[in-house]
Amino acid sequence: MRFTVLKASMFLCRDAGKENYMEEIRIIELKESILEDNDKDAQVLRDELKSKKTCLINLMSGPGSGKTTTLLALKDCFKDRISWGVMEADIDSDVDAIRLKEAGVPSIQLHTGGMCHLDADMTRQGLRSFDRDDLDLIFLENIGNLVCPAEFDTGAAVNMTILSVPEGDDKPVKYPLMYEVADIMVVNKIDTLPVFDFDRERMERAVFERNPDMKIFYVSALTGEGIPELADYLVERVKECNA
Amino acid sequence: MGEVRTIQIHENITAANDRTAEATRRMLTEKGVFFINVMSSPGSGKTTLLTALINRMKEKVKIAEMDVDIASTLDAQRVADATGVRAIQIHNGGLCHIDADMTARALKEFSVDDTDLLILENIGNLVCPAEFDTGAHKNMMLLSVPEGDDKPLKYPLMFSVSDIVLITKTDTAPYFNFDMEAAKERIYQLNSSAVILPVSARTGEGLDELEALLMKEIAAVKG
Repeated sequence: MRFTVLKASMFLCRDAGKENYMEEIRIIELKESILEDNDKDAQVLRDELKSKKTCLINLMSGPGSGKTTTLLALKDCFKDRISWGVMEADIDSDVDAIRLKEAGVPSIQLHTGGMCHLDADMTRQGLRSFDRDDLDLIFLENIGNLVCPAEFDTGAAVNMTILSVPEGDDKPVKYPLMYEVADIMVVNKIDTLPVFDFDRERMERAVFERNPDMKIFYVSALTGEGIPELADYLVERVKECNA
Repeated sequence: MGEVRTIQIHENITAANDRTAEATRRMLTEKGVFFINVMSSPGSGKTTLLTALINRMKEKVKIAEMDVDIASTLDAQRVADATGVRAIQIHNGGLCHIDADMTARALKEFSVDDTDLLILENIGNLVCPAEFDTGAHKNMMLLSVPEGDDKPLKYPLMFSVSDIVLITKTDTAPYFNFDMEAAKERIYQLNSSAVILPVSARTGEGLDELEALLMKEIAAVKG
């Protein structure tokens, strides 16, 4: 049954909104009930994590914006301050989990088998397999995608999104939901600003229009610029979250 | 009970999508229109590259472009302003892809009778668009240098279904650790017949080759 639900949610993400076929009307019904279920599941998971004093951060972005590299850059700044680990979600590879493991960060790889997002139940399955109640912070590195992950509450206490400079300053206009649901936004690869036409003010205007409370950080995971400030903020946020 | 129903829905939809896609392809072939579906991650440079390409080709062939976006009209406007060719924006209302039915409906409103090359700029997404045949004759995807050479490992289906893979933003290579040979090898492993072309809309690298490739495809459809 669980599998069924997951399967269904996969199609929903892709097939909802059409009205030509009878089958599709059924899908829309399913979507409503599944989203409702997912929201409930997510809230239960969030409460459980709170009681275990584990802060879960759902990390989302487009492909190649530097999620894993940013996490690796944060490692030294987190040292001796918080204990942390990563659940890597990917469609079908272990590339990221291997990178983290080599760096000594506790991590596991979740395979979605073609699905474009994670939901609360998949997150719960991942946490069960990870089995690390001792960690203050667990990052859930979502599938590289600016559309579907934004629609599903994973049960995380905090949503964080990364936008890299090469992707362009127009992304908040084109993928508005992602920027509405995120609490923290990291602008990565700022070392490449001289090479790209990236208008920081235009981007901030578009973000704040959708989400006046967004906390924005400018970093380069490659050079380390801005990483200590981001780490300080995250350490405080984790403390608040687990208080 | 739920399980059977779900799987059945998927099969029905996939089969229906394939039928619609095939009908679209046949209709466009009869009209002599070459239809190409362009896919990539967000921000890999679809609109910029297509604008540069259209400006080179628009005197030689008649071009029309359909842009898909979740909510904005940025891209169609950019293409129309920068090239003067006919462009429409399709809003898909939050979905992560466009399928054959949506494409067919858009084509009903957007006449392509007087068109040689029809370009569909898909949603910026490496997952969902790969699963839906839109009715295009060829799929073309962009992988930009800043995204990294590991993308074929992480989004294999997209690379498997693409006939042409453009490696874009090659002018920024000095700023990134992008291993071109590793990327090519990973793509060929998934798709041995893929045509891989490094390009830069900014410097013009690879655009002659891409133009020649598309002209050949246009001629092939026209028979």
